Amino acid sequence: MRSHRPPFLWLLNKECRELIVSRAWWVLLLCMGPLVGVSFISAVRTYGEVSGLNGTSAGVGEALSPLIGVWAPTFSACELAAVFLLPFVAIRLVAGDRQSGALKLELQQGMSPFARITAKALVLLAGWIVAMLIPLSAIILWKSYGGSVYAPEVITLAFGHLLNAGLTIALAAAMSSLTEHPSTAAILTLGVTVGTWIVNFFGAVQGGWWERAAGFTPAAMVAEFQHGLLRLDTSCVALVLILAGLGLSAIWMRLGTEVGRRAYQSVALCLVAAAGIYACTFLHASWDSSESRANSFPEADEMALRKIHVPLTIEAHLAPEDPRRLDLEHHALSKLRRVMPSVQVRYVSNTSIGLFEQTRAGYGEIWYSLGGRKNMSRMTTAEGVLEEIYSLAGVSPPQENDAEIFRGHPLAVPATGAGGVFYILWPGLVLAAGILARRRFK
Amino acid sequence: MLFEVKGLSKQFGRIAALSDVAFHVREGEVLGLIGPNGAGKSTLFECLAGVLPSDAGYVTAGGRAVGTSERRSLLFYVPDGIAPWPAQSVGWALDFTIGFLRGRADLREEVVAQLDLLGLLNQPIGTLSKGQRKRALLAIGLLTPQPALLIDEPFEGLDLRQARDIASALRVHAARGRTLFLSIHQISDAARFCDRFILLSSGRVCGEGTVPELAALAASHHASIPSEDLEEVFLALT
Repeated sequence: MRSHRPPFLWLLNKECRELIVSRAWWVLLLCMGPLVGVSFISAVRTYGEVSGLNGTSAGVGEALSPLIGVWAPTFSACELAAVFLLPFVAIRLVAGDRQSGALKLELQQGMSPFARITAKALVLLAGWIVAMLIPLSAIILWKSYGGSVYAPEVITLAFGHLLNAGLTIALAAAMSSLTEHPSTAAILTLGVTVGTWIVNFFGAVQGGWWERAAGFTPAAMVAEFQHGLLRLDTSCVALVLILAGLGLSAIWMRLGTEVGRRAYQSVALCLVAAAGIYACTFLHASWDSSESRANSFPEADEMALRKIHVPLTIEAHLAPEDPRRLDLEHHALSKLRRVMPSVQVRYVSNTSIGLFEQTRAGYGEIWYSLGGRKNMSRMTTAEGVLEEIYSLAGVSPPQENDAEIFRGHPLAVPATGAGGVFYILWPGLVLAAGILARRRFK
Repeated sequence: MLFEVKGLSKQFGRIAALSDVAFHVREGEVLGLIGPNGAGKSTLFECLAGVLPSDAGYVTAGGRAVGTSERRSLLFYVPDGIAPWPAQSVGWALDFTIGFLRGRADLREEVVAQLDLLGLLNQPIGTLSKGQRKRALLAIGLLTPQPALLIDEPFEGLDLRQARDIASALRVHAARGRTLFLSIHQISDAARFCDRFILLSSGRVCGEGTVPELAALAASHHASIPSEDLEEVFLALT
């Protein structure tokens, strides 16, 4: 008599049990309460103050969106947990089998290593979703204060953090399979994370290809989701990296295969992943899910820009660290690229900070070229950029529609009860559930 | 014959763990792999089970070569000194063996009784003593469906009474046609329990056969009177 349940379901059951008895996961859940609590309470306080709480002058709050003011900081606890806590949960689950010797028994089942690592990744993602319940529960609190919730932007933000967790899981899984010991895997995982921060730093200082590469690091990816922007290229690159990490883990999990062969397969996988990432960079679709349309020009401007079919080239004489370049990029060019994917942008500078270039003739100039006509401006605002493009294209600027302008959702309330929920109730629930579950599953 | 091993070799850097190892395994026999510590017994089992890559050599069954993936339906290997799924109970581990490794559910109660595991079923594997863990591992192995079971040091960590009980339990399974291939470093234990032997020393097979066959081989090497004592035979051949 044999069991009728498919082996994969047995494996899923085993991985779930292993996650539940893992102290690392319970520590992650325990820490999430205070982490989210600190972020949420300070975000609500700041949001309240700019909305006129405690006698402060209201006004700024009128343009304040809950996504930027509350959800981005509240969910930033997930980013911290994904970098500093989740890798240990993943390493424990992946490396544990090798450490205990269970891998030698399980490998004899004959199941594909890709199926094995998929089971682990699915369980780890489920574990992460449980951890995300705590920032999601902040939504209920916010609603109870009378706050506004715009579901698409919150879903986009949560999806971004889920992708980020997927990247962490894939990285930790790959490192756990590649190394003999979990502590080595932990060091390498954190090493790669620090490496992505270095890429971000170089991107900010050097510009060029570094800047392009920095756009695909987990921190940059999360930052986009925090603004309610869902980019197809970034999401696809993240998915390719997740699959590559899990693939590497599966390759190195096969203890019975020669090391040389595993190394060749890893190189082949990395090449395929690199090609995949390169292909993803050609995907230009993106969705602005923010209620405030923080990543888009007004709809009338977008319609007018879509009618311009002549290639547009912009040459900005601004150094990578010049704040004006950041303004131009974030307030105008990133929005422009979404409407006119063919726009060519070129930055020209001799230094990284631009401070000592200010006196150079032409520094700070932004040249627009459209259909053989050229214009120069120094304005870095969205309005300034649009004005130049309309003037070159001979298009009259569309009328501003007052109904379209985002008026914000000011809310001048204190974060009543949040401390009790995040500092007492959640840790208490986690502790009680942890003790009960570990007893039940051991 | 269940399967045959030919020319199996494995190097760890400059050290030859296995050199041109060749032998055969018959159906339903209890075959002992004997040799001192470091002889390459565990390495040989791991290479056969496909959890460690070999540098050369192959396994044949029914006259044709059997690849690593095909070997999984032929043999199952129980390593020594592991504590799989340490946070899970013995009972769960047996159920997992039946479910995931497609083990035999009808043997569960019998194996639990034979290995005296009833009182340990709810205990986490990580909290078991060495001997208890060994019994749990043997139970996992006995529940697996493959015709050949390779066990690394089946009597390690067991007291005399337990070793005898387990030996008789293994005999029951062998009598039903299960082939047992046991790696044993205590030659006296092996002599009491196994039908045939493979003598392994420094990664080389020094002899294969029953005690009388090995004794005759040793006598022919040294031109002396054959001794029926396996320890003497082992010393003479290695």
